[in-house]
Amino acid sequence: DRAPGGPMSMMHSGISQAREYDDPPGLHEKTEYLLREWVNMYHNASAGRDSTKAFTMFVHQMNVQGILKTDDLITRFFRLSTEMCTELCYRAFSDQSNPSPSLVRAKCFHTLDAYVRLITLLVKHSGDANNSLTKINLLHKVLGIVAGVLLRDHDFRSTEFQQLPYHRIFIMLFLELSAPEQVLESISVQVLNAFCNTLHILQPSKAPGFAYAWLELVSHRVFLGKMLVLTPQQRAWGMYAQLLIDMFKFLAPFLRNVELPKQIQLLYKGTLRVLLVLLHDFPEFLCDYHYGFCDVIPPNCIQMRNLILSAFPRHMRLPDPFTPNLKVDLLPEITQAPRVLTNFASMIQPANFKKDLDSYINSRSPVTFLSELRSNLQVSNEPGMRYNIPLINALVLYVGTQAISHIQTKGQAPSMGTITHSSHMDIFQNLAVDLDTEGRYLFLNAITNQLRYPNSHTHYFSCTLLYLFAEANTEAIQEQITRVLLERLIVNRPHPWGLLVTFIELIKNPTFKFWNHEFVRCAPEIEKLFDSVARSCMPQKPS
Amino acid sequence: GVAPLGPVPLTKNCFFQSQMLEASSQHMPHPSDSERLRLYFPRNLCPTPSYYPQSLPNCDSLDFFQRLSVETLFFIFYYMEGTKAQYLAAKALKKQSWRFHTEHMMWFQRHEEPKTINDEFEQGTYIYFDYEKWGQRKKEGFIFEYRFLEDRDLN
Repeated sequence: DRAPGGPMSMMHSGISQAREYDDPPGLHEKTEYLLREWVNMYHNASAGRDSTKAFTMFVHQMNVQGILKTDDLITRFFRLSTEMCTELCYRAFSDQSNPSPSLVRAKCFHTLDAYVRLITLLVKHSGDANNSLTKINLLHKVLGIVAGVLLRDHDFRSTEFQQLPYHRIFIMLFLELSAPEQVLESISVQVLNAFCNTLHILQPSKAPGFAYAWLELVSHRVFLGKMLVLTPQQRAWGMYAQLLIDMFKFLAPFLRNVELPKQIQLLYKGTLRVLLVLLHDFPEFLCDYHYGFCDVIPPNCIQMRNLILSAFPRHMRLPDPFTPNLKVDLLPEITQAPRVLTNFASMIQPANFKKDLDSYINSRSPVTFLSELRSNLQVSNEPGMRYNIPLINALVLYVGTQAISHIQTKGQAPSMGTITHSSHMDIFQNLAVDLDTEGRYLFLNAITNQLRYPNSHTHYFSCTLLYLFAEANTEAIQEQITRVLLERLIVNRPHPWGLLVTFIELIKNPTFKFWNHEFVRCAPEIEKLFDSVARSCMPQKPS
Repeated sequence: GVAPLGPVPLTKNCFFQSQMLEASSQHMPHPSDSERLRLYFPRNLCPTPSYYPQSLPNCDSLDFFQRLSVETLFFIFYYMEGTKAQYLAAKALKKQSWRFHTEHMMWFQRHEEPKTINDEFEQGTYIYFDYEKWGQRKKEGFIFEYRFLEDRDLN
């Protein structure tokens, strides 16, 4: 697709052609005439089912006007038509004599829907019936043109920008191209691809004035269904994950600063709703891409992350974490690794750091690797942005998965006894001791992001976190571990299973002497909180 | 909420993004923007007190439609074109032995056994629903030609 001359290059040429103005004389008038003709024909009762009769006549007219002579003229025709349609919407909005908002909308839809049908028919009928490449190329071209006109309009009008015409064109075109027809079904994956590429190009950080419409498009039930259910072999899952990542990236700087202006709150709420739909209907999707999502969601967005981390495969039955004497290591699922569809190993950069890491994991030397670890993760001295968070996340998961396979090759299973005294645990213990508060918070969060449904990662990292607590040389580390777990539990549901299991083990198992620590009783409301958690998960709290 | 890592100054670009978002929040997408045009009732959102029903459970099932009166079904059929509701209304009408005449664009029901039945048509007394006068009418000696019978399987 990305090859020169492929559909993506059609889209990019469409985008750049949206900025050209040197039209041949008379083309503007011809386009205006043709578009008006088409809108009339589309709304006429004699247009035939799906406007096919009208279309045959219209193609003849386009020929007479010479529009279909060259690709360049066709491109210009689409650009001018898109501009005319959007202009018309701006005029309808500014016309104060319009009696009601729904009539203004109806007026806009009158033209936009006709234009969308024209695009659909031209795409369907371009090339031979079996020539899908011509159709796909044309679709990419048109989407590129509409995206290009949008971006230019967005820059040019700034806060006066209206998302409606573009929103309508994209969604209606998508619905038309999703109709149950053989011609369309044979190109459905490429159609999805084209729309995903367009949405990625128009992501909220590129066109913030289009962000609400963008989220509506991404979460539209037909779009969601096509992306996550109807496309075989989950071939569209990766593309859909990319779109969600686009949204998380846009929200991240605002969310991490907590003070959210109303317009961001609105978008955040919408994103949470999409996540709830996904958690309910497509939990496996959230499971597979949790790593990539958690990598871009700021550490303080606890509920958002909990939604993602609470997802578990639908066929699984999770044992109640509050069951007395729950034996986690006896669950059959605990030996199976979860699917992680992000290549996290490749995110450990630069290459020589990865080389040193691998060599330390294998040989447990040199010790200087550990002492230099902190400087490899640190990127600046600015408080709050000292560390390379994606690198910490990648390092933690990579070392953990290496540890699991190391233990398994020895014929053992990860447990509190087998995870210790290894190069992997050296790295984790070193990070716990050597990092400052900020770094340790990020490190512990990276571990806690793996506490999900019963699987080998959950089990390994649960043991690791408890081991780090037990072996901590200062109370500060223990307090921070408690903090990371607790702050994910005091928010509203859902709570990931592995998180609950780990926390319950910590407060229940006397070997951790949890209740002897100062910080448990540092404030009356904290103490009360612990008491209530304790009451809910064990019959009698040790006093 | 809490910001454990402390706030970070927003970039100029973030301020621009926030401003663009604020402006577009003044004209949010409307539910009708991503729906086919409704000619007869455009969506008209307005706040209603919470003690009025805000939704009907299970209202898009055939079961629900079969409990509606025929008048309601005719209304849905003629005024909600191209929707799932129209499809369900047509299905419910067919279950009650109404047949759609594609030339008159009206629904017919036998009032009695037809006087004549052959391969091309049947003839007899029918009840039909007149969407212009908005009411049920009776027609005697009507010839229902089978080529105007809408007989697609609605499944």
